[in-house]
Order: sequence, then structure tokens, then C-alpha cells
Amino acid sequence: MRTIRVADLAHGRSGDKGDMCNVGLVAFDDRSFAILRAEVTADRVKQHFGDLVKGTVTRYELPNIRAMNFVLTQALDGGGTMSLRSDHLGKVMYAWLLRMELTLADASAECSS
Amino acid sequence: MKTVRLGAGMAFWGDRVRPAIEMAERGDIDYLCCDHLAELTMSILSKQMRKNPERGYTPDILDLLRGTLRTCVANGTRIITNAGGANPRACASRVAELAAELGLPSLSIAVVTGDDIGQDIDGLMALGVPFRNMDTGEPLATVRERLTHACVYTGSEGIVEALGRGADIVICGRVTDIALYLGPLIHEFGWAPDDWQRLGMATAAAHSIECGGQATGGLFSGGWADVPGLENLGYPIAEFAPDGTAVITKTPGTGGRVDVRTVSEQLVYEILDPGAYLTADVTADFTNVALEQVGPDQVRITGATGRPRPETLKVNMGYQAGFIGETQFTYTWPDAYAKAQRGISFLKTRLAASGFRAQGEIVEYLGWNSMWQSCLPVPDDPDLPEIVVRYAARCESAAQARKVFTECVPLYNNGPAGVAGVGTRPPLKELFALWPCLVPRDHIKQSTDMLEVRDGEAA
Repeated sequence: MRTIRVADLAHGRSGDKGDMCNVGLVAFDDRSFAILRAEVTADRVKQHFGDLVKGTVTRYELPNIRAMNFVLTQALDGGGTMSLRSDHLGKVMYAWLLRMELTLADASAECSS
Repeated sequence: MKTVRLGAGMAFWGDRVRPAIEMAERGDIDYLCCDHLAELTMSILSKQMRKNPERGYTPDILDLLRGTLRTCVANGTRIITNAGGANPRACASRVAELAAELGLPSLSIAVVTGDDIGQDIDGLMALGVPFRNMDTGEPLATVRERLTHACVYTGSEGIVEALGRGADIVICGRVTDIALYLGPLIHEFGWAPDDWQRLGMATAAAHSIECGGQATGGLFSGGWADVPGLENLGYPIAEFAPDGTAVITKTPGTGGRVDVRTVSEQLVYEILDPGAYLTADVTADFTNVALEQVGPDQVRITGATGRPRPETLKVNMGYQAGFIGETQFTYTWPDAYAKAQRGISFLKTRLAASGFRAQGEIVEYLGWNSMWQSCLPVPDDPDLPEIVVRYAARCESAAQARKVFTECVPLYNNGPAGVAGVGTRPPLKELFALWPCLVPRDHIKQSTDMLEVRDGEAA
């Protein structure tokens, strides 16, 4: 077993639409994308963001660019215009997802590096 | 094969002007497309216009045009902008004055309106449009008295008409960001308004460049240290083919980079379901979008498609929602966290005694959890060198919001030891909330008016 971070597999960007925040991940290669698909599920992402996201998490995929998009609802303390947070537009929410740790069987971890 | 080159000249109100100037001079562009409006911007502009009927547009368009208009007119580059904001006509008058000042012999300015339904709400409600909040289902009556503005995210029709009538510059209000790009493409390629495939494909390409420097290396997280020349970032240009596919590039001789990774990252920025990217012109489907590096700083985008446009248009409606009162202070070693807790409790106790009422409040420790909040443990290491506290609250009135700083000031000499950085009174932030709702498209009609300037005079 080996522990890595999502940042080892992908880069990302996030932003706002009202009180929704979207977090896009772009995998560095095909193998990394396969690991993301298996490991970075909507449920795990919801758990990882904890109280920061009051609503739901939905995952979408853009397979040809090895990307996935997570839509987080009730995620910005009322939305960019109302939020009290320093990051009222969700600009760095992606970085929290890149920090998420994944525990992989050795074989898949090797392939990702 | 005919191609059309669209440049992203500006991505928000206050963005840099230099990239548009360089693009006009060296980008070989047919159109300069400038987006000035974010979700909140219309609230601010509407407020300005109520105070002064000559304002209500984003004045940065004048800075941009001062640097680009002569070059654009000389090169036949046409300019499309939504800088008109809440007051496109006033914006057009200022642009006409600027054209005269720059000594341009003639300029054809189009003004596209029809997005502002602020005066039509009663009439539309009488026709059965409920303007219910899309997220909460609440009726408009909840906030009706506090509305600041109501603008419809309108499509490209008015821009297409303006270009057909020979406009050199098209000044719009709240058209969608995408319409600024689809308008010139429909005009140039003669696409039918229901050519969903081409419109959807072009929407994906437009989406990838509409935020300017974010496609060319700005904010790039997949190796940020390796992006060259961020200080002189070039903005993106898309060279469109008649099928709506495009090659994304940037102004030659500028900083930044265009590659599959920089464009991929921007494609997933501020989208919801990539299979249903809703715009006023088309429902685009980005699911199978593909990118290919076809040269240095050149990425071809293909694979997107489209479906019929939605029958309803989104309304950007805003209402006054009070004020944010905010303060900040720093505690040092030893026991920085324990002292900070005491300082926060001091502040809250004094606020309660002053009759303070808040609709929500937040405590952040800057440098530790101001970005990810409760995802992180509390910074309670007694050896921590310092801890910066930010406290903010949403209040109904400015008087309430002002109390936050007032009651924080005694921390200077009445609170625990080791405090600094209370500073001077920060400005209050006025809150405008959004009321997201829909209106059937049949009720909305854009109009296009032309303002011809000849030898410095409006003709």
C-alpha cells in the first residue's frame, strides 16, 4: 500500500456560480485519470470538504481531456456576493481537493509515477 | 478556407488593458471581444446609474479604447463589448466623444439593449412570469422591495444585427460572455440560429478563452513555476474554422503559454454539467471536447457539440442584503491561540452588550484556515509565533456593521497582551444578493440602435 495525493495525479481549477462551487481536475496522463475515476468519487469528495460544503457533490467527466468536474452545492456561504469567507469565490477550493490523500495498492501507485 | 480570429481583450471590470493593445497591434485579429461583467457587477453599475444617469457602464472600456481604437479602425478589427452594463447608451456617448478626441474621421457605434427588465417586472408578472427563486422556490415578493436591478442574460442576436448594419464597435448590456464571441462568428460564417452543432462547438472554444489570461498560463496549477513571463501575459486568440472548431493561440511576443494543459484547466473553470452548458444561444455539450497541440502556443479544440437553446433565459436580479462589518487583529507568542480566543470572546461580549445583531458571522485565522476553514484543526500549538484573526459579520444596517470595528478597538489596550495590527477602520462592504430566476425567451426582445460619428460629430 502507498499513500499519494490527488496533486500527484492531476492539476485543477475552481470557481463559483452563485452558491455553487465547481472544482475541475485534469489528470496528467491516462493512468492517473483511471486512478482518479476509481478513487476520487463524489462521496469521497463530499467527505473531504466536510462542513465547507453544506449541499451535494456531483461528478462529471470529460474523458478526452482526462478531466473531471465536481459541482459542489451550498458551498460558498451563500455565494460570491454574500459570503463572509476570504475565499468568497471558491478560487482555491481546488487546492483542498489536490491535497486529498489516496491509499493505493502498490501496483497502481507504481503505474502512476 | 475562411477563418475568423477572435481575441479575448478583457475578462472582467478592472482587468489589464495592455493585452488588448498588444493583440490589436500584433494579434492579427478580426474581432476584439471584451467581457466586463461578473455576477455582482450589474448591482454595482445599477446603483451608480441611479445616483448619476450618465454612469452605470464600466469605464475601463474607455481606457481600453484609448489604446486600441485607432489601431482597430485602421486594421478593420471590430470590437464587441458588454461594458455598457446598466447604461449602454451613456457608454456609447462617451465612446463617441473619445473617437472625436482621437481624431477618427468616422465610427459606427451600435448599442444593443433589451436585457434590462427592471421596469417591466410588474407587466411580466401580470403575464404569468413568477420570477420564483430557482434555488429556493421562494416568490419574488420576498425581496421585491429591495431589488437593485433585473437584467436578462441575452444572446447574440443584437450583435449579429449590429455587425450586419456595419458597426465598428458594438456596445451591449448584459449579454452572455459567450454571445460576445458567437455574434461575430454567426455574422461571418452565416450560421443558422439553430445550427446547434456549430454553435455548441464554438461555445466550447469561446468558453476556453473568455477569461483572458486564465487560458494562457494565469492561475495554471499544473506547474505554475514553469509558466514564463506572467508579468507580461499575452491574452488568448481563437482562430475559428467554418465548422466552429478553432485553434487557440495568443498574441506573439507575449508571456505565458498555450498548451493542452493550460487550455484543459480553463475548460473546466466555472462549468456545471459539461453535457449541458446553458447559454442564451445554445445548450452546448463539452463532454467529448478534445485538444491537440498543433504548434508552439497553438492548441486545436474539437469534439464539442450542441442541442437546442433553452426556452427560458436566466435573469440576473439583485437585491440589497445589508452590510459586512469586518475586523482583523494579531496575537503573538506565547499562547497565541489562547490569547486569540480570549480576544474573540472579548469582541463578542462587547458586541452583545452594544445591541449588535448579525445574520451570520465568521472567524478565520489568516495564514492557517482562512481558505479551508473547518477542514483544518485549530492552531493551538502554544509555541506558534503568531496568529492573525479575521472576524466578519453580515448585518442588516450599516450602523450595525460599523459596531464590529468599534468594539474591536479596545483590544489595543484593554485585552490580553501581545496584540498588534488592529489598524484603522476598514471600509464597510455593501451586500448585494442575487435572485436567480428565469423568464420565457419570447418576452425578451433585443434592440440595436446605431450611433454614427462623422468628423467628431454625432450624425
